[in-house]
Amino acid sequence: MPYVPEHDEVPNPLRSGLRAESPPDPCAIVVFGASGDLAHRKLLPALYNLALGAHLPAAFGIVGVSKSPYTHQEYADSMREAVGKFSRNKPVDPEVWRDFGAGLRYVPGSLDDDDTFRRLAAQLEEVDHTRATRGNRIFYFATPPSTFPTLLRKLQEHRFIRPPLDPRFTRVVIEKPFGRDLASARALNRLVLEVMDEKQVFRIDHYLGKETVQNLLVLRFGNTIFEPIWNRQYVDHVQITAAEELGVEGRGRYYEEAGILRDMIQNHVLQLVCLTAMEAPVAFDADAVRDEKIKVLRAICGIDTPEAVARRVVLGQYAAGQIGAADVPGYQAEKNVAKDSRTPTFVALKLAINSWRWDGVPFYLRSGKRLPKRTTEIAIQFQRLPHSLFGEGASAPNVLVIRVQPEEGIALRFSAKVPGERYRPRTVSMDFRYGTAFAAASPEAYERLLLDALKGDQTLFTRKDEVEAAWKLVGGILQVTGSSESAPPSSYQAGTWGPREADALLASDGRAWRRS
Amino acid sequence: MTLGEPIAAGQGSRGELSIRFGESFDLGKVQKLLQESRELAGSAGETVSTLNLVAIYFSQAAYERAQPALETAARVHPCRMIVLVAEPKVEPPAASARVAAVRAAGTVAVERIVFLAQGRAVRHLESAMTGLLLPELPRVVVWGGRPEGALFQHAMELGDRIVIDSGTRPLASLRAVAQLLARGAPIGDLAWARIFPWQGVAAELLDVPSLREHRGRLQSARVVCAGDVGAEGALLGGWFASRVKGAKIDLAIGPAPEVDSPVPGGGDGMPGEAPMAAAPVGRGNVVEFQFATPSVAFTLRRARSILTAEVKGDDDGEIVNRVRLPPDTPGRLLSIELKLLSGRDELYAESAQMAARLLAERWTSS
Repeated sequence: MPYVPEHDEVPNPLRSGLRAESPPDPCAIVVFGASGDLAHRKLLPALYNLALGAHLPAAFGIVGVSKSPYTHQEYADSMREAVGKFSRNKPVDPEVWRDFGAGLRYVPGSLDDDDTFRRLAAQLEEVDHTRATRGNRIFYFATPPSTFPTLLRKLQEHRFIRPPLDPRFTRVVIEKPFGRDLASARALNRLVLEVMDEKQVFRIDHYLGKETVQNLLVLRFGNTIFEPIWNRQYVDHVQITAAEELGVEGRGRYYEEAGILRDMIQNHVLQLVCLTAMEAPVAFDADAVRDEKIKVLRAICGIDTPEAVARRVVLGQYAAGQIGAADVPGYQAEKNVAKDSRTPTFVALKLAINSWRWDGVPFYLRSGKRLPKRTTEIAIQFQRLPHSLFGEGASAPNVLVIRVQPEEGIALRFSAKVPGERYRPRTVSMDFRYGTAFAAASPEAYERLLLDALKGDQTLFTRKDEVEAAWKLVGGILQVTGSSESAPPSSYQAGTWGPREADALLASDGRAWRRS
Repeated sequence: MTLGEPIAAGQGSRGELSIRFGESFDLGKVQKLLQESRELAGSAGETVSTLNLVAIYFSQAAYERAQPALETAARVHPCRMIVLVAEPKVEPPAASARVAAVRAAGTVAVERIVFLAQGRAVRHLESAMTGLLLPELPRVVVWGGRPEGALFQHAMELGDRIVIDSGTRPLASLRAVAQLLARGAPIGDLAWARIFPWQGVAAELLDVPSLREHRGRLQSARVVCAGDVGAEGALLGGWFASRVKGAKIDLAIGPAPEVDSPVPGGGDGMPGEAPMAAAPVGRGNVVEFQFATPSVAFTLRRARSILTAEVKGDDDGEIVNRVRLPPDTPGRLLSIELKLLSGRDELYAESAQMAARLLAERWTSS
């Protein structure tokens, strides 16, 4: 029977007033795709770092599942090597690893084979017994999206998913991309909710695990000075840039299917838009925060007609060029990419948010591969001075820049008097850098998100309605740009900030992209 | 060397700049030295500080031992750190200052100013420190001496919070602390932070659904300390007594400690930082905590870095939980205490008062 707290239950006398954060409950985490890149580079190093910081319960085990024919020991050895290579804390601490490694298990097998799941069940029982994990489970889907439906069905058929009120919790973490359009996202959501409750689903977008993204909420709602000016009366426009130097890096097959809109805009960039534009939540809890984010997505004016796309969207595809003093090939010359590919690797968007706060304030988004440098930032550009007392130098508008990566921080651009007799203003930048201010190393995004999943906190995970609203917006653009009548993406030289049309998008509004 | 001029061509150990005075300090020169120190460290001049961390010691040796812990905490909580080292009984009177811009993660994380005074020069320490406090920011005082006397009282008035480590002091001083807490003193204690994992695991046991029925039936607890009863054992017992009214508390002495000092490194003040591994069990450290209802016994045991919890006597059989103890370094504990920048921890205040009562009963009965 599921545990239901009784109204007259005696409060825990030892819980009240404690300052120490409760560690997560004992738990076994099952990683599907355990021999893959994500598990090696991110998940296992993140879990090890949590163990190193004493954030994991000692009653903890990890069961890897994938096709590779490892033994338990071979898997543990392979993971130790991966942690040694990819962890932010090196070298591996032998004492911490001794206990952490002792909790590693491996189940080889195909994800569509019932026998794999029977052996997994037996393995989890063993882990419960030897590691005291109490039947609590997290299933992490670090596998290609095409496997998600099969995995969900198998977990259901083999009764791994317990009811949400069962004292032994079951949670499922699903990696992006969650669907490839609105219809597939809805279908996947329907399946997910047939199998479990929304409270048990953790749709991960690792951008939300980044410190600066979380700090955006603190900056906005933990200070009094920003909110009064965070609106159409003071803000001229907002620019969000998510640029990468890298190309498709051997993932041509995936990228041909995805393109920049699915890869970056539908998830990461729209999440940044939500956090920038949302109203203050009534509380800092998962549903209150996500309620406000979904309102932003719903308020964004749809871009689903050829006219709207022509006015608000610029797509590009990189051609050969130079980055970092090295020649790089064009997109169509990449491995597993069609020679006549029309897949966009760059997008510039102009969004309108129909709300009291943002009416008339455009949000310009741009994201692309093979741009001059890796940078993700949100720039709030304030309105110009109505009248400049001090001449030309003072007329540059104030800009508040939130740097998500690299060099996470916040910069405010304002005018200051140049020392001397005359009032000669110059624009200066007041810079707050996370690495400088708080020298303690920030956790990796996956560390924060895995810890939240262990604690059952969904605040930094996307909800069903968020995913669908984001797909609705992006799906509208994809429908128009994917039609055979639409123009192909404009070409841009690798190492530049995208096609000229992207500059024209802002120039037609009398604005220009920031020099990031 | 002329008084008021930098010592040893301006640079001492660890990039410190030093200056020697007569019997009082010249703050203008100290500030100039601080600016030089920033430039030496490559700072552009802007700083981010979240608090003024004032640390007070009564010997240079005590400060030297505490320095790594202070810097560890300061890296987590960027601050201006002002250290006062007062040696009133050392003659002749002398005053000197050492300043450093401490680099971490490639940039300046802490501005550290150490004032050393001997003999009569001690009387100038307070005004020197006051002149360098950053305005508006909270002031937290780390007190490296006995938690008593007029100076301690004065330090409490100065700070929004005062942090001690009763684990490094004679157990009797916990009674004095309890009296101050009863009067509302904003005291924090590293010995208290040291028992957070024990409290967390104990509370967690009573959150287990099948064990919640025992919440209202708790009646006794037993705290076993290594070699001798220590402050953290007394505080753990006091905490339980403050949560479970009328519970019988037994403070017991268990096996010999792995090291003889109460905290790794030993001595008064705060010792050096240990590596990430958990510290060995020191004298007075808690090694076992048991609490019980008439039918069920909950036992928490420490074995090196793992805290194991067992439940015996319940219909559901034995439940075991294991929690890895975080590294027990003073710097980490101080970082935890610095999360609370003003006011006091009410739970600590209640627990310390209960602990003092338990110790009084224990001494009376023995």
